[in-house]
Amino acid sequence: MQAEFRAPRRRTRVQEEYEAPLPVSLRPEERSLFRAELINQHVLVWDPEQIQKIHNQGFFGKGVLSRARPDHSISDQWEEHEGLFLPLVSQARYEELLRWAGATLSAQGLDEEAVNQTLLQLSQPIGTEDLRGEGQMMNGQEGPGPEDEASPCTERAGPEGGASPCTERANPNPDSDSFSDFDSEPGPGPGSGSGSLVPGPGFVLVVSDSEAAVQIREVRRTPLSLSEYLQLSLEEAFFLVYGLGCLSVHMHQEPLSIVQLWRKFRSLHPDFVSSYAAYHHFRSRGWVPKEGGGAKYGVNLMLYRKGPPFYHASYSVVIERADDAFEGSVLHPFSWRSLAALSRITASVSKELMLCYVVYPTDQSEAELDSPECLSRLKVQEVIVGRWVSSRERAEQDDI
Amino acid sequence: MLLLLLLLRLVNMADQNKTGTEGKLFSEILSPSELFAARSRSHKIPVRGQKDFFPNDSDEQRQRLEQSLNEHWSLTSEERVERLGNLVKAIWIPSDQIVELQSPAGNVQVFYRDLPLSIQDGYERFLSSATVSLQQYQVFGHLKRLGYVVHRFDPSSEPSSYAKQLNLPQSRDRAGRQLKRKRSPSPTATCSYTEAQVESTIEKMEEDKCSLEGDDAKKLAASPDIQTATTSGADEGRSWWMTDDLGASDKELHHSPTSGSSRWDFSSIPFPDVGSSERHPSCLAPPEPSLLPGDLTVGVCDIASWRRKINLRMVKMSSKEQKREKDKRRRRWDVNKDREVRRCRNWAEYHELLARRQRKRKGRPAHLWNREVTPLHDPKQPISTGELLDKISVIKSTHLLEGASRLKGSEQWRICFNVYQPDTVVDFKKSNPGKPYSRMCVCSFDGPVPDLRAIKLLAFQSGDIPVVFAVVDHGDISFYTFKDFQLPIDVFP
Repeated sequence: MQAEFRAPRRRTRVQEEYEAPLPVSLRPEERSLFRAELINQHVLVWDPEQIQKIHNQGFFGKGVLSRARPDHSISDQWEEHEGLFLPLVSQARYEELLRWAGATLSAQGLDEEAVNQTLLQLSQPIGTEDLRGEGQMMNGQEGPGPEDEASPCTERAGPEGGASPCTERANPNPDSDSFSDFDSEPGPGPGSGSGSLVPGPGFVLVVSDSEAAVQIREVRRTPLSLSEYLQLSLEEAFFLVYGLGCLSVHMHQEPLSIVQLWRKFRSLHPDFVSSYAAYHHFRSRGWVPKEGGGAKYGVNLMLYRKGPPFYHASYSVVIERADDAFEGSVLHPFSWRSLAALSRITASVSKELMLCYVVYPTDQSEAELDSPECLSRLKVQEVIVGRWVSSRERAEQDDI
Repeated sequence: MLLLLLLLRLVNMADQNKTGTEGKLFSEILSPSELFAARSRSHKIPVRGQKDFFPNDSDEQRQRLEQSLNEHWSLTSEERVERLGNLVKAIWIPSDQIVELQSPAGNVQVFYRDLPLSIQDGYERFLSSATVSLQQYQVFGHLKRLGYVVHRFDPSSEPSSYAKQLNLPQSRDRAGRQLKRKRSPSPTATCSYTEAQVESTIEKMEEDKCSLEGDDAKKLAASPDIQTATTSGADEGRSWWMTDDLGASDKELHHSPTSGSSRWDFSSIPFPDVGSSERHPSCLAPPEPSLLPGDLTVGVCDIASWRRKINLRMVKMSSKEQKREKDKRRRRWDVNKDREVRRCRNWAEYHELLARRQRKRKGRPAHLWNREVTPLHDPKQPISTGELLDKISVIKSTHLLEGASRLKGSEQWRICFNVYQPDTVVDFKKSNPGKPYSRMCVCSFDGPVPDLRAIKLLAFQSGDIPVVFAVVDHGDISFYTFKDFQLPIDVFP
């Protein structure tokens, strides 16, 4: 007998607007070709615009400095100033940032004189016209993006990214330079191109600490930019590449083909085929599967309708593999004790526990599994685990 | 009469060391004073007081614990006293593994070779691994005490999937049921047969219904011809009106004898079954002229157009779906409506336009598209979300019953009981309990969790009744279900 479908619960306060179910636009003029890097077993997207698109349209990935969406910025407060939307920092904070920038420059080997000069230059207040012009130039300069120019996918609209007052994230702040200074990660792709000594040319609105009723706001350059990048899980990245065709993954500046990517991911995760099959299945049903359920709820995936900001997760999914004879729970050997515990946790957070069995045909060879075309031969069986309470009052009210 | 093990309450016949009765012969039958003592026992259940959270070695605590333990002990060691007359004698037959009750159920005293069995004997004999395990008994007892009706599950008494397909009624001795069967699909053909012939025709028709061959279409198609043929033939034997005179109509065999004035006997008037999905002629023969009023004559009726209109399900489209339908219609794109195409003054310019557009279409990265495996979708193509989801659905969904029929039974996973809800007791008949509320599979908490194979096997055996796993953990029972599910498709345009 079939389990009943329970309607997903909406969140009480929804602060976001729903953009689109997937980052593939319905209008062909818009380019939706994104670029990611495979670095140290992680798939990362650097470009802020792409980050926004990928995350807002389908909720792929997680910002590395944030809880969910990448919304780390230099300040929590943003304000509009003469038609520009800029982050607000206090004078004290600004000076602190200057000090840090100075320390970085010294660490790079500059003598004190040079450091002071640079800092002085940096902290000059900027007129808004310069700002706009700068923004444009900045963007034109980094047109080819932090990567090599061979990739056709990072073509960007010129002035749009810079000083547009409409976009929420108008920080015209490329990641390139700041990363080479600030990030100690070995060999990230972006940034090494320009080699400039000046840390990131972002802009901030500095408020003087005066006690006056009207506080003067000045536009200055950001001494240090703390940009965030988007981290995609292997399944999400592969789905964007294979299922939607809108992402290219590069490793050491080389773009990877689909089969290469599949094999690489299989080598990183031994059960990649099963977990990807389940992920692909849920995406093709229109639901949003998110990783991260592991640490919180002890399961592989959480299923959301529309996206985490809109609804509470409806299902906690445990992925299991089964062969043609339907035997074996190899990935998660359950005992009744562990199953009971998991069922309790799931019920107490008002979700339903779903076991997702990926059924493999027996005659599938290892060679077949080495290509994503094996997916069409797999089948997915969903089973809902529930508890039945035998006491009479309950039984009268609801069916099993 | 063969009865299942319904109620088993054994009288406690363990002997107790009663002080002062050392020399006395143990007697089951209580003396008047003992009986009085038993009757006037306090029936209070010891109240559990407030919990102490940790032992503190105090006298008071120890005393309270001791008192509580004593109360519990005396309660559980109480002999249950029964009136001798209330006890029902039953005989244990080990070869059949049943306890035969001599009279309808009540409190039972079980005898084996004319000797009464004690509880220990009962435990050893009844709850062996060959019959009913202790765990199964625990589950049984738990559910019974809550009021459910619990029967043993007999896999052979469940209809096979083929039988379910036929949707045969369970065989009953009532002719009334068979009457209904006769009314489809071509009733008049059977009117003039005897009962035995009718039955065989019915069976044949049932088989024909279920087989998907085309050759039986002839038979069914032929029957309306028989219908028209026999119309004229058997007139004198038929009457639509029921009278008290059964003699004239017993050729029909399907009158329920009634007294009273003549009225239409609808059970003998053939009504065509237009709505059934079986193959059907698209023309209806005209009805009996004696059924029609006055001089009305009706010819053959063509019902093809009507049959197309029935058995349709209404699709109620939400506003989003309606919008999508509109969009789809709108997307029928006419090349002449393209402004750029309009600007082309001749074919050469048009070809140029096409070439330009082709070049603009670059942007399909070679590393994705010029290899053996390409993405499932090209983001250049405009597509609605629903279509996109359909396009990328390469992994198929399956359900529990798929492939389950070839699974062989397992020793470990068996359905033990049929469980019926307590409030259905009113309609409950032992010979025809109806569909159970659920079926139980009993397992131990220390044992394995059912894998997909076990779940599928039990789901197949159970049919459309949910299977509940009763997990026994030394007296505590938890119930879990593993239900089939298909995640619905969620599309936001």
